[in-house]
Amino acid sequence: MLRNTPAFILNPLQALGRYSQLLFHAFGAIPEFGTYRKNLWEQMVRIGVESLPIVMMAAAFSGAVTTVQTSYQLVFPLIPKGIIGAIVVPSMILELGAVVTGFILAGRVGARIAAELGTMRVTEQIDALEAMGLNSIGYLIVPRVVAGIVMFPVLYVAACFVGIGGGMLVGDLGGFVPIGEFVDGAREFFQPFDPLFGVIKSLVFGFTITSISCFKGYYTKGGAEGVGRATTQAAVASCVFLLLADLVLAVILL
Amino acid sequence: MKYSNEIKVGVTIILATVVFILGVRYFEDLPLFNSTYGLTAEFDNAGGLIAGNIVRVNGVAVGSVNAVYISEESGKVIVDFHVDKNIPVTEGSEAVVAGFDALGVVRLELKLGDPNVPRIPEGGLVSGLNPGDLIGQMTERAPEMMDGADRVLGQLEGVLAEANTMLASPESDFRQTLRAVQGSVDEVETLLSEERERISDILGNVDRLTADLDTAAGEDGEAVTALMDRLNTMMTTLDADLESYSATNEQLQEILRKLNDGDGTLGMLINDPSMYHRLDSTLTGINALVADFQNNPEKYLKEMKLVDLF
Amino acid sequence: MISVQQINKSFGQKHVLKDVSLDIPEGETLAIIGRSGSGKSVLMKHIIGLMQPDSGRVFVDGVNINDISYAELRRVRQHFGVLFQGGALFDSMNSFENVAFPLRTFTSMNESEVRNVVQECLSMVELEDVGLKMPSELSGGMQKRVALARAVALRPRYILYDEPTSGLDPETSNTIDELIKNLANQLNVTSIVVTHDMHSVLNIADRAAFIYEGRMHWTGTMDELHKSKDEILTAFVTANEYKIGV
Repeated sequence: MLRNTPAFILNPLQALGRYSQLLFHAFGAIPEFGTYRKNLWEQMVRIGVESLPIVMMAAAFSGAVTTVQTSYQLVFPLIPKGIIGAIVVPSMILELGAVVTGFILAGRVGARIAAELGTMRVTEQIDALEAMGLNSIGYLIVPRVVAGIVMFPVLYVAACFVGIGGGMLVGDLGGFVPIGEFVDGAREFFQPFDPLFGVIKSLVFGFTITSISCFKGYYTKGGAEGVGRATTQAAVASCVFLLLADLVLAVILL
Repeated sequence: MKYSNEIKVGVTIILATVVFILGVRYFEDLPLFNSTYGLTAEFDNAGGLIAGNIVRVNGVAVGSVNAVYISEESGKVIVDFHVDKNIPVTEGSEAVVAGFDALGVVRLELKLGDPNVPRIPEGGLVSGLNPGDLIGQMTERAPEMMDGADRVLGQLEGVLAEANTMLASPESDFRQTLRAVQGSVDEVETLLSEERERISDILGNVDRLTADLDTAAGEDGEAVTALMDRLNTMMTTLDADLESYSATNEQLQEILRKLNDGDGTLGMLINDPSMYHRLDSTLTGINALVADFQNNPEKYLKEMKLVDLF
Repeated sequence: MISVQQINKSFGQKHVLKDVSLDIPEGETLAIIGRSGSGKSVLMKHIIGLMQPDSGRVFVDGVNINDISYAELRRVRQHFGVLFQGGALFDSMNSFENVAFPLRTFTSMNESEVRNVVQECLSMVELEDVGLKMPSELSGGMQKRVALARAVALRPRYILYDEPTSGLDPETSNTIDELIKNLANQLNVTSIVVTHDMHSVLNIADRAAFIYEGRMHWTGTMDELHKSKDEILTAFVTANEYKIGV
């Protein structure tokens, strides 16, 4: 029966199966802390700390643009200017903070993970690890995914902080809305659940991006060309599934 | 440099945690470093209050609402909230839901109790005043106001009626005066019937005022409450004023004398529209006088004699 | 003692290994020879459990490695040292760290002990001075020698060589062959060399196993190889000798 199933159905199913299997192995390797302890710190620095500048820059700009755009759209004179703050802050916290960070990391981290693991695969470094008796999934994938899950919320917080700050600053300097009014408006409509939602979202994004990129990299085939393919696929798939996760989370949690 | 990775990661995570906590507290309008303490209040109706709404004391934000839910046992609305530790929420403090649901600007207003009694302990219950909506509040209090107005008018009418009876008694030797008074009262009655229109004008104005209040409510809920309070006070003052008019005897005497002369002053008074307002107040004066008259007629009889001599 | 019993392996429609059986006694140096794509490397990966056969079994010291848990399999693998075709050095680490990696991962040695063992291994492959160089800074031959040092760092009982001399000039190939021979003597290990370089085979092997079109076509000692009248085998051997100009 399976023989007659067209490839466009079979291939994604097969990929999903292999992805789940990989995650299952990775999950089983979590207790072997000694295997990946050193790598974990390394990956946390590379995925988290070293991504801070680019994430913060992108967030600052998106916060500033959101402020300018919101004040441009709010032409009705009776609307208090504080509403700008009440729109920019939740947009940043609920959506932009996590998604901007996600897209940057899909490119920066996702592609790098896939290229690294892909190269290790085609040069038999992964086989070498296995042949030594090391759990290659525990050694390579667990630290990357865990680092993603841990560091992504950190980047998200940084993005929100800088994004809102950028929005406030541009709103004030550009004469759109004074900082005081911006903050008052934001406070009036602030929901403590929003940042929590953002953190949950960033956890999921961190997991999605790193696990998909690890999957693409770990199963790379076909030399240098294969590595290039895996890298592209990792970045694209990360973005697609990030958006999907975004929608699913919004439907479930909001 | 063996620990440099660990240190970098640790510092970043700690910084992010601090920024996160302070950021949330900042937008929750909480003091950034002071600790807070939690309290609970119970309401029949939350009036649109939700978690995250601001808690205010005398218009100052001091905390925020943690959760709003329906108690399973009592079916009442339980509101958990926290306030700055420095706010003395003492026994006898009251919480009320204020603001305007339709605009989504609802908050919990705390009215602090006597500062000299002990504080409500952490997690304790602050008694909740049931607010209703602002419009609801208005509608609730409208009949009360109408009653007040009715009462005043009713008194006025009653007083006039009694004056009529009194003056109609035939035994008096100042019939002429009485007739004059009678005439004036007739005039007053005519006037009153003419006034109907004006009264409806006034009611119209009240209507418009209410509409204005509505608008005001749109802008700021509290202003309406304040206004209504002031309106109440005004009513009370009006009542008091009516009473105090009994002191205006002299003025009344003057008028009575003029009436006695019968030289058309009243007509002039009535015809001269600029004098209208004077008459208005005079009328009120008459009421008081009549009331006084009723209480101690001798005094007036004496006066009347005096008047007769002229 | 490694025993491969009747293993079959297919990739999709392609039947790569057909009923392959092979016994490798303790202390022997066995060369698995055959043309490119004949399934030699696949056979080697089965021996350390990097691939699972579709049917058949692989025994290492009497343990069926297809029938044990992953954790147990990894313990079995620690008896092996593997020299991969391209060396497979970890390119994020320098040479010293590459050799030290298995020591740091699997032993409780302190840093100075690790340093001693690494130096010893590097001198075994005659590369005492490259410790601080990254793999990308080394030539292909040097990379393979560092990888060999890493493979022997844990004193394995079995060493697998996947095409140890391919892509190297004849002189470097000879150096590698000498190293393989020396290691076999010094450490008394069982060596399995997967190669198509007959020059190398004649140099180092005690016995050869010839895989042809996925089947174990011929096995025997070097003497038997010289005397063999098998046409396919002799064709392969002579083509090889002709190529390297012997």
